[in-house]
Amino acid sequence: MSIVLEQISKHFDGAAAVSDVTVDIAEGEFFVLLGPSGSGKSTLLRAIAGLTPIDHGRILLHGQDVSDVSARDREVGFVFQNYALFRHMTVADNIEFALRARRVPARNRRRRCAELLELVALEGFERRLPTELSGGQQQRVAVARALAHEPRVLLLDEPFGALDAKIREELRRAIRTIQRAVGITTILVTHDQEEAFTMADRIGVMDRGRLQEVGEPRELYARPKTRFVATFLGAANLLLGRYEGGDVRISDSVFPTLHPTPTVPAQGTEATVVIRPEDILIHRAGAAPEALRIGTAKVTGLEFTGSQERIRLSLKSSDTLTSALTPDAPEFIVEAARGAREAESLPLSVGQITAIGAKRIHVLPTRISSVRLLATSEAAEKRLKSSILVRDLAERMNIAPTLHRVDGGHGIERSLSGLSVVVPEQGRDPRRVAALLHTGARQILALVHDDRPVERILIYTQPSRPARDGALSTAGSLLRHMSVDATLLVPADERILYGRRYRDLLDIRQSALRLHGVDVRTESFRGDIIDHLKHCLEADIPTLLLVGVTSTTGRRALIRGLTELAAHRSCAAVLVTSARSETESREAVPDFRRAMLAGVA
Amino acid sequence: MRFSLIGISLAFLALILLIPVASVLAYAFSSGFDAYWQALSTPDTVSAIRLTLLTAAVVVPINTVFGVAAAWAIAKFDFSGKQVLITLIDLPFSLSPVVAGLVFILLFGAQGWFGPWLEQKDISIVFAFPGIVLATLLVTFPYVARELIPVMQMHGRDAEEAAVSLGAGGWTTFFRVTLPTVRWALLYGIILCNARAMGEFGAVSVVSGHIRGQTTTMPLHVEILYNEYDLTGAFAVASLLMLLAVLTLVIKTAIEFVSARQPRPGVR
Amino acid sequence: MRPSALPGFGLTIGTTFAFLGLIVLIPVAALVLKAGSLPLSQLWQIATEPRALASYRLSFGAALLAAALNAVFGLAIAWSLVRYRFPGRRFVDAVIDLPFALPTAVSGIALATVFAPKGWIGQWLEPLGIQVAYSWVGVVVALTLVGLPFVVRSVQPALEDVDASLEEAAESLGAGRWTVFRRVILPAITPALATGFTLAFARGIGEYGSVIFIAGNLPMRTEITPLLIVIKLEQYDYLGAAALGFVMLCMSFAMLLAINALNGWRARRHRGRK
Repeated sequence: MSIVLEQISKHFDGAAAVSDVTVDIAEGEFFVLLGPSGSGKSTLLRAIAGLTPIDHGRILLHGQDVSDVSARDREVGFVFQNYALFRHMTVADNIEFALRARRVPARNRRRRCAELLELVALEGFERRLPTELSGGQQQRVAVARALAHEPRVLLLDEPFGALDAKIREELRRAIRTIQRAVGITTILVTHDQEEAFTMADRIGVMDRGRLQEVGEPRELYARPKTRFVATFLGAANLLLGRYEGGDVRISDSVFPTLHPTPTVPAQGTEATVVIRPEDILIHRAGAAPEALRIGTAKVTGLEFTGSQERIRLSLKSSDTLTSALTPDAPEFIVEAARGAREAESLPLSVGQITAIGAKRIHVLPTRISSVRLLATSEAAEKRLKSSILVRDLAERMNIAPTLHRVDGGHGIERSLSGLSVVVPEQGRDPRRVAALLHTGARQILALVHDDRPVERILIYTQPSRPARDGALSTAGSLLRHMSVDATLLVPADERILYGRRYRDLLDIRQSALRLHGVDVRTESFRGDIIDHLKHCLEADIPTLLLVGVTSTTGRRALIRGLTELAAHRSCAAVLVTSARSETESREAVPDFRRAMLAGVA
Repeated sequence: MRFSLIGISLAFLALILLIPVASVLAYAFSSGFDAYWQALSTPDTVSAIRLTLLTAAVVVPINTVFGVAAAWAIAKFDFSGKQVLITLIDLPFSLSPVVAGLVFILLFGAQGWFGPWLEQKDISIVFAFPGIVLATLLVTFPYVARELIPVMQMHGRDAEEAAVSLGAGGWTTFFRVTLPTVRWALLYGIILCNARAMGEFGAVSVVSGHIRGQTTTMPLHVEILYNEYDLTGAFAVASLLMLLAVLTLVIKTAIEFVSARQPRPGVR
Repeated sequence: MRPSALPGFGLTIGTTFAFLGLIVLIPVAALVLKAGSLPLSQLWQIATEPRALASYRLSFGAALLAAALNAVFGLAIAWSLVRYRFPGRRFVDAVIDLPFALPTAVSGIALATVFAPKGWIGQWLEPLGIQVAYSWVGVVVALTLVGLPFVVRSVQPALEDVDASLEEAAESLGAGRWTVFRRVILPAITPALATGFTLAFARGIGEYGSVIFIAGNLPMRTEITPLLIVIKLEQYDYLGAAALGFVMLCMSFAMLLAINALNGWRARRHRGRK
């Protein structure tokens, strides 16, 4: 490996600029760090160069730990956003600077300088001053300067930011060619998605200081794992469907999922579906569908962009088809794109009714598909809306929470998809949470002392495989977006769950990482879980308790036990995930109404 | 409107600045060039000139080193208390020169903290050359730093960071990368510092002891001659100091011309 | 502290604090401690004796008046330099800085001579009954001279920054020239003007060299505070000098804080405009 980053974190004045970034970059690879401004990508790049010291983690260049090596001795080539050329020096002096600093004899310096000028196609510019060059030429001098001392790593910080579109394209090609010719491992930072796609061997997408996903451009585009990456890389329609076995139902059609999640969620669980605009097919209303049908849509907007036509279509929401961005809206908008030939064969006009289908869908592996705030009173509504925890979570996962007034328990069925958020009211919580679970909720977040940001997650699950899988995959979704430690608490006598053979805690950790992509620590305890949690909560660290349950016995007792924990100041919230099937819950709705009404009365 | 405003401005300038300044030359040469030359070549005057040059030769390098160090620390690094530090560096600007002299009397004078000890060791600071240097150091303390800090802050850290990532050490970075970009500001700071060091009156007057031919700098010598009603002598020495001021302004204007900058704001 | 990749922080910050301590802080602390060694009542007594009070009145009053004069004429000069092109403009622009570079003893004897009853200017004023030299008016004149560049150099860039389109907009809305000045330009340059005024005032309070020649130095009438300190020193009254010096030091700090606050105001104004 050429560049290895291990758990890099950097804070500026208490705010995390980079949190917990781990990535390996291969020899000769062209790696692009892509993200919106303020996502921490430049800070990360500067950390690799040694220009910004890191708070935590390790940086290895070619197997050597350089975390404590000064920028001067890291032997990296760095190209700055505004080039940072030495304006009082000629082009040659700029390029030879690194060699001069290394006391390379003048003859060799001149030879190397000539080589580099040829490489960047600036022969004959030796005696010019940077101010006499165009932006693109300055950029190439900066690249040549950074390569002069033959560094083994080249770092480019938004190198094309200040250039106009045409020169930018030229330079992209030029830099890619130079990089291939030299064979140097390169990291480029940009906020431009197209730049990333055209240049990268692999892309790392950053948001809010976290490296969200890493992958080859095509892979990231076709199969993103998070909402952020799905929407940041190109246009995407985000819909909510429902799992049916390993497949996903959208409206009347069941789509096979090509890359199912490692563990199949229970029947009827909400799924977050990505459909790219170019994968949406538009037919005449009533025509035989060529692809799996989604529904009837009305054309609300047409945009001609030259090579493509972009179409905005309005659809009606249903139980198995709704927008993941506005789950409660009766209608939502889908964007489609088609080429000139298709546009000619079926001309569209605004207001026209059409049938649409999808060639391809992609299901996000995330377990948290929507956030529904269940309010039983005015006060609860206010509390839910102002919760920092909910706001942070929703913001980081790119989910807009929806509010549901469930005073009477009516209409509760639809509100129970996704993550249901409730606030505790004295004495009623166990009953309410139990009732919600009984009714079919799969994820319930009960807010307790959520006025501080959560700093750790403690996970406990009932002793069953589905319970554990449900909890760990939810933890995976959370940890992707939060920089906190997660610990899985395993009863000392229960460590054989993952196989017939006895495995130690490290094995559990390994399989959690493999199956759910979640890095949790494991800790065994003896005795009652509630007592152990009480012990854990004595430390004043805002904690989210994540509890996986099944329908087996002991659930009620467990939930009652959890209620006692609410007395602890450090208990920020309790998240209960349930691994129940759909059918069991349908019958339980009247039950819930009774429980809710009892709560209100 | 336009002409009256310009007229008022010029009249005010003439009355308060130009006529008095012109009078210095007029009085200096009122008794002819020979008298002027004679006034300048008396041993006391020559000694005063020598003392002034010597003081500046000691003070200006010290404050230049300080100014460069302070500007580097302040402009290239973030640390808490930076604003307080800048304010403290500015303190001598708003300090009365007399107070600047007074503090050294209180430290090193006969009744001062170190007075008895110094007397025992037979070291004289106050009413001697070291006192003059110290007082001048204090009054001219902020000049170089004050010119360098804004310019270095404006240039940012990119060039230095580039140099370091290219393998340059601290000194190489400073001399080859930073210094060339701030050289005009540095030069400007130095000449201002020099002008004030050579022309300082109040602070030096308090610590000098006014021993003719020994501890009188040029400005002090002007006072002595003036009080003795040797107007030709006083104005002759004053004309030299004025020449220094005019030279300073000429260099300043030249710097502004060379570095192609607008008249600099916040000059003190 | 945010660590940086650049070298030399330890060296430079160490040098800075060492020099600052040795040259500025320790000497100033000596003054504070000397004044502090007096009982408070005695300190108060020395600081408020009639001669001292008279000197404060003169130092403050003259500095205030000089700063006010500079504010008015400095604004006129800055306006002329920024808005008009006239022969000698560059000369005037360069000459404004002369008081910065001119040793105070030189301006002192020059003013004293020129404004003396028989001097170049004094001879015209005497028949009018105006006595400048050896009166408080002379003090004001001297302080006006040394304070002049502060106002001009503060206001000049601010005036250059005033957006011409703002004025045009105001004029297109039917505002007269005076209204445009009062409502558009003046508010924009007020912070700079205030800064210049404060700088000139601060310089005036402590000024010594240019004043003593022209003032006449009559106790209770034309004796500035710095001179009183010198007189006390000459009488070996170190405690008295320290007490008065302490009062002046406090004034210096107050002025520094005021200037800092004004700079903050200016910076906010500047950001607000962008």
